[in-house]
Amino acid sequence: MSGGASASVRLEAQAPPVAPASSGSVSGLVAAEAFPLSLEGIHKRWRKDQAPILDGVDLRLDLGTKTWIGGRNGAGKTTLLRIAAGLIDPDQGRVHAWGFGPHDKRSRYHRLVAFLPAGDRGLYARLSVRHQLRFWAGMAMIDSAVRESRVEETIDAFDLRELADQRVDRMSMGQRQRVRIAMTFLPEPETVLLDEPLTSLDLEGAVVLDRAIDRLIDRGGALLWCSPSGDHPEHEFDSDWLLEAGRLVAL
Amino acid sequence: MSELRGSAHAFREVLARDLRVYLSYRSRLASQALTSIFSLTLFYYVSQLVHVSGFDSPGAYFGFVIVGIALVGVLYSCFSVADTVRQELIAGTFERLVLSPFGPVRSVIAMAVFPLIYAFAMATLTLAVGWAVFDLQLHWQTVPLAIPAMALALLAFLPFGLAFAALTVVMKQGNVGTSWVIALISIVGGLYFPITLLPEWVQTAAKFQPFTPATEMLRHLLVNSPQATSALVTIAKVALFAAVLLPVSIWALRRAIREGQRRGTIIEY
Repeated sequence: MSGGASASVRLEAQAPPVAPASSGSVSGLVAAEAFPLSLEGIHKRWRKDQAPILDGVDLRLDLGTKTWIGGRNGAGKTTLLRIAAGLIDPDQGRVHAWGFGPHDKRSRYHRLVAFLPAGDRGLYARLSVRHQLRFWAGMAMIDSAVRESRVEETIDAFDLRELADQRVDRMSMGQRQRVRIAMTFLPEPETVLLDEPLTSLDLEGAVVLDRAIDRLIDRGGALLWCSPSGDHPEHEFDSDWLLEAGRLVAL
Repeated sequence: MSELRGSAHAFREVLARDLRVYLSYRSRLASQALTSIFSLTLFYYVSQLVHVSGFDSPGAYFGFVIVGIALVGVLYSCFSVADTVRQELIAGTFERLVLSPFGPVRSVIAMAVFPLIYAFAMATLTLAVGWAVFDLQLHWQTVPLAIPAMALALLAFLPFGLAFAALTVVMKQGNVGTSWVIALISIVGGLYFPITLLPEWVQTAAKFQPFTPATEMLRHLLVNSPQATSALVTIAKVALFAAVLLPVSIWALRRAIREGQRRGTIIEY
């Protein structure tokens, strides 16, 4: 499984459970020979006088797979996810999802790839859950014919019906996390990047998240989940990796 | 869904979000309306008390300054987009906008719309109160033309707000000099007094910004103030500023965001 001149590792393809992406399974948005996520030779150094946080990371996610990356605090998991999401650029290396780069076809890329950052940020405190979801449905440019129904379906799928008209700043941390997760899955992305998604979630919240991941995998999408080493989720993953000294090590 | 329709909807969603957040602060409208009315009252009595050279009557100066007061609100609204970006950076919503298909540049432009509509409404309220309570002499024949003129002026002012939003993305500070820039514009733009009172070199410098001609144009249409140049030349000047500055400011904003992504500072706040 490992290889490459830089001794970095590569997650090789497993038997895809669905038709290849080139069949147009993702609303005709997908280019041929595309993978849900492909990171090649990713380098990132935050300061010149420090060792690189990512030192030639190669990673490829395949259709219908779940991948977990662990690592100590500050190992670079969040940086890797941010690069994969297209939020920040690597110093070197190539990022692609479904055949698109985060900057050459940014709108398409962000329709396909969704990212849940760690922490509790990213919400408009004074908007209700429904208005929050409506807003992000607008930003995701979801088709007008399904937009409103998608918002309501998401409210139900994430057990937010009772909270739908409640303002976010009046909710508990766990409830807010559920809203953040709902926002991530709302546009029905094909690649989902989760950074410590279980933060503040109760058991019910974790079950709701599991169901959302199952739906993603069922439709041929891919999941990348990062959390600290000692915090491996109970999920069964297709691949487990450790990010250590800027490189991925297979577990 | 076509890109255009999707963008239009996203634009409306930003507007709806800003309205909802605004309405969630229940006393804000009353507070801002009162501030505007107090300011109006203050300048009414100042105009009664002090003879300002170049004005035939206290009413003429009051008409002059009331348009200036209305435009100060518009200026603040233009620059408020930088502060909104700062709040989005702190809340972590800006990075979500960066990752959205609608994108951060269009989002920031959309964020400017609600404050501008609001400032337009407050300016209308200011003029209406001035007319109803303080006997402001509006030039009704040309008042309707002030609406498209104001829209043009906004297009010329907005680039300054977008440029400061770009600075905020880079510097991570919401008030990167906006207060003193607004104060400076108030002086060289002739919002409170005619720029003919200023030194010659300031008058020359004032020609290189859109605020003075836009203010002149609006004053002429609203209260029939005399114009130094023909209306057509003034409109052309404002339109030229808008045509040049708007693409430049959008480019600066795009560049600031990309640079933040390249250096990784887009996640900082």
